[in-house]
Amino acid sequence: MIADTETKPSSVLTTAPDFGATGLPQWYQDLQRSAWEASSALPLPKRTDEPWRFADLKRAAALEAFQTAASLDEATVKGLIVRSSKLEKTSGKFVFANESLAYADRPEADGLICLPLAEAVEKHAQLLQEHFMTQDATLGSEKFAQLHKSRAKSGLFIYVPAGVEITLPIEAYHWVSGENSSVFPHTLIVTGENSKVTVVDYYGSASESEAGLSCAVVDLVAGRGSKLRYVACQSLSTTSSNIHISSTLASADADVKSLQVQIGSAWSRTESVSHLSGKGANSDMLSVSVPSSKQQVDQRTLQHHGEAHTTSDLLYKNALYDQSRSVFAGLIKVDVGAHYTDAYQTCRNLLLSDEAEANSMPGLEINADQVKCSHGSTSGPITDEDVFYFNARGIPTETAKQLITYGFAAEVFGKLKHEAIEAMVGQLVEEKFRQLS
Amino acid sequence: MSAAEATSAIDIDRSVGDFSYPESHEFDAGVGLTDKTIDYISGVKKEAEWIREFRHRALKIFRDKPMPTHWASDDLKEIDFDKIRYYLAHGQQPTRSWDDVPDDMKETFERLGIPEQERKFLAGVEAQFDSEAAYSNVKESLQKEGVIFVNSTEGLREHPEIFRKWFGKVIPTSDNKFSALNSAVFSGGSFIYVPPGVKVSHPLQAYFRINAENFGQFERTLIICDEGSEVMYMEGCTAPKFETTTLHSAVVELVAMKDAKIQYITVQNWSANVFNLVTKRGVAHENAEIRWIDCNIGSRLTMKYPGVVMKGRKARGEVISIALANDGQHQDTGAKMIHAADETTSNVVSKSISVGKGRSTYRGQVHIPKHLKGCKNNTECDALLINTKSKTDTYPAITVRGNQHATQHEASVSQVSEDQIFYMKQRGLSEAEAMSLSVNGFVNDLVREFPMEYSVELKRLIDLEMEGSVG
Amino acid sequence: MSIEISDLKVNIGDQPIIKGLNLTFPKGEVHAIMGPNGSGKSTLAKVISGHEDYEVIGGKITMDGVDLLEMEADERSREGLFMAFQYPHEIPGVTNANFIRAALQARLPKGEELDAVAYYKQLYAEMDKLEMDRKFTGRAVNEGFSGGEKKRNEILQMAMLKPSYAVLDETDSGLDIDALKVVSEGVNRMRSPERGFLVITHYQRLLDYIVPDVVHVMKGGKIIRSGDKSLALELEERGYDWVLDETAA
Repeated sequence: MIADTETKPSSVLTTAPDFGATGLPQWYQDLQRSAWEASSALPLPKRTDEPWRFADLKRAAALEAFQTAASLDEATVKGLIVRSSKLEKTSGKFVFANESLAYADRPEADGLICLPLAEAVEKHAQLLQEHFMTQDATLGSEKFAQLHKSRAKSGLFIYVPAGVEITLPIEAYHWVSGENSSVFPHTLIVTGENSKVTVVDYYGSASESEAGLSCAVVDLVAGRGSKLRYVACQSLSTTSSNIHISSTLASADADVKSLQVQIGSAWSRTESVSHLSGKGANSDMLSVSVPSSKQQVDQRTLQHHGEAHTTSDLLYKNALYDQSRSVFAGLIKVDVGAHYTDAYQTCRNLLLSDEAEANSMPGLEINADQVKCSHGSTSGPITDEDVFYFNARGIPTETAKQLITYGFAAEVFGKLKHEAIEAMVGQLVEEKFRQLS
Repeated sequence: MSAAEATSAIDIDRSVGDFSYPESHEFDAGVGLTDKTIDYISGVKKEAEWIREFRHRALKIFRDKPMPTHWASDDLKEIDFDKIRYYLAHGQQPTRSWDDVPDDMKETFERLGIPEQERKFLAGVEAQFDSEAAYSNVKESLQKEGVIFVNSTEGLREHPEIFRKWFGKVIPTSDNKFSALNSAVFSGGSFIYVPPGVKVSHPLQAYFRINAENFGQFERTLIICDEGSEVMYMEGCTAPKFETTTLHSAVVELVAMKDAKIQYITVQNWSANVFNLVTKRGVAHENAEIRWIDCNIGSRLTMKYPGVVMKGRKARGEVISIALANDGQHQDTGAKMIHAADETTSNVVSKSISVGKGRSTYRGQVHIPKHLKGCKNNTECDALLINTKSKTDTYPAITVRGNQHATQHEASVSQVSEDQIFYMKQRGLSEAEAMSLSVNGFVNDLVREFPMEYSVELKRLIDLEMEGSVG
Repeated sequence: MSIEISDLKVNIGDQPIIKGLNLTFPKGEVHAIMGPNGSGKSTLAKVISGHEDYEVIGGKITMDGVDLLEMEADERSREGLFMAFQYPHEIPGVTNANFIRAALQARLPKGEELDAVAYYKQLYAEMDKLEMDRKFTGRAVNEGFSGGEKKRNEILQMAMLKPSYAVLDETDSGLDIDALKVVSEGVNRMRSPERGFLVITHYQRLLDYIVPDVVHVMKGGKIIRSGDKSLALELEERGYDWVLDETAA
């Protein structure tokens, strides 16, 4: 019997991590230990949980199959470093392979802190204690957020001091390798007053034939008047699972734009929250997904206006091929007293096959007057009239449909107003189109 | 003209509805709900054995189902099912002539303006006082054409061959906790059958009134429109203001056969301590049309999401809804559109107004399954907030499968702008008048969907609700 | 019998806009206020009509001896004051016929009902004079109206409400020459010993059609000069700076 349990792989969902083995400081180990207790005490999502309406619960339950990632051989790591080359010009680049730092091109600027999480908890305990996972997950994945907290050791901590502008993007690659391996990449970005930074996370699989799990948490804390751009590109293998829990906290006059790009994974659950907590704060939440075969994207969002004179704009687009499926549940919540809120939410589903399915739940909860809030949701195919216009100019139907679909997606990432990132995301989307045709 | 002073043909405003008479009920099932309550009701009604069994099954389902508070308002927990009286009635046979109606009821109905209405233009009236219909009449001409307009007891007893087939089929007992409750203790309501090709030219009408404190009203309505026939049905509801809460939980099933048309119009003006938890759904067969035209002004909590299952090709479903939530009120309304055949189309237009601390909620469901072609849904919901503490929520859910359909959902939240109010004040309107006019303007395009008599009444009710909302 | 404004001081936020303005316009006369952009003309119109965005920090406005500043905007209107707005507001869903009817109803004593037949008769007669289509009655107030239609609608409302005093704020803006004539004729028809007009305009053009008895020049939140109708022509020729220079001199 003992031999049996030894050979049986231990699930990250049900087996406590070896806290001491990380060699991380005691305070952090204690934090992780209590997070583990919280996570294991929470049940898996159930059918009656509103945040999991329309969700594929079997996928959530199947997370039990994933195990701790093993360390990788040198050749594999080298290969992954070579593949970590999306943006031409960056101010810094980090590559994590199965949660170990494989490569670091550290950015330099006055007072800038940009470190792998494991180093940051050593060197900047106070800043970490102040900001690390201080915002609770509220859109359904409380259990998985705690699970992440109990295991997180890779990913970046970025602190941009007041007035510092980092012009080129900082890139972080998070690779998962090995059948049923799991990674828990963390991203924490804190911007000081009137500072500026752009950060791109990539989540990828070493092999297209292996199923992995990425369970990421991203916290964006935007200080007064700062400008923060954040992009998450997910192109895990099509058998993988992805959980991405992100929250934005925007102070007065802060301007945050975040973009989710969903290309890979069998099941991708993203939960994105924006808290607008100071006058003049703005958050633009963007997402583009191109699921095909039996891929599922499950998106939950919250635009939370806690203060008067704040704005948010959400645009989520899904181009659905084959038997793919999307769930979008968004909520604009305006607190009592948050007058003069401008909040918009748009979800568009382009249905490109007779078997694709789109579920939309755009919601509003308005508790203040003098607000401008609206949402719109459409689901439909490419219409004959759309195609006809192209045909009339001599463009064949298939090309027309590709152009229309690309244009559908490009409207989203064009809103980031960053040429290099636009080109990079455009390429990811085009690659996916090529696989499909 | 002050709104409260107004009198009109159909007086259902609260100042008129707020009166009651001493109760002396011949039949009373007592307080609380047990198997005995059901046997009592079934016995009094001399029901067939299958109905008694139907009721008992329903009671079990009701007991087993939890309150839907995982998505709905916690206010539901305030309902104490053990304190409710489930059946109260004077007698069993609905009276056919006005002269036979007991005097106190006659007085009630006269104050509600019902017989007067009937004389004027209504094709038939069914008026329900607590559990049973007290007065019911169908114009002779309609009867000659084969139109059946009776209450539920009579419908199931006298015409089982027509009604049994659809009874409880559009809305199964287990649909939700309150449809189960209704199925266990239902009484009264309208059973209507319109034969093929008959187009009922005047609206059929029903009034529901709760007169006894702690009473639950559970009417059951089933309307079957046979091939190519048409009918318009209107219902109005009132209750006096009691100290304790009251429950109204109806089930309304509509069946529109091929090419048939049903319009179902509701003006709900229960007093502000009534829990109004209603399940309404229709099945539309080929090329048939079902329209729910719904206005909710009264009640403490209304939960009502009229639905249409479009079962035949080219069937159409529509929900037009106006809700007004004032202090202490929560109007939780919406629509369910289930597309189950090719080329079916549905349309939902919902407008809500939240006044004072009132809260209005829209919940919607649109479902277009796979392997269908050419289905369309359009949903618009607009909310108007009047005061700083007014609240509104919108929770739609739209599922579309396949690339041959189009759905569109839009929602917005707005206020009456200060500039607009100022413009009207400059023309001499008081702030309250300006606000009333603006609110009426907001719902104007929907009010037009109601028959004239009702739309006049609606405007007056809105004026009443707007009084005191400003300043 | 007149509207009298004495030593009026008005702020928007902390910004003084009207700085001690004096003006009297009696019944039976048409007074014009001219002035460059930003002189405070439109603010004056809004303050007279009772807009809440403006803070009156000093001075008085009376109408036939009654203190207007103590009254709400709607009370002022019912008391006989009319304002033709520069940018008439759009009211979705409320028809013109119902709107004007409500305004007239508001002027009747409690319990008295407006005679609908007489009302429509009068409405149609006034609309004919202003060359307005009958369909107009069923359209929502100002919604989707052209600039000219909106201004005609203002004049129609004035004709129906029959005020004692009317303030016309830049009524000529957005009007082509034909519309300008129709609107002006509408105003001229209403000139009477029982009614006073204050016409606010940037250009002399309107005053060719609505000939004023008195012209005031406003600048920097004050009336800096008053004269007869020839003053308007002089302003047109020589610009506003000339007045300012002379006043300073």
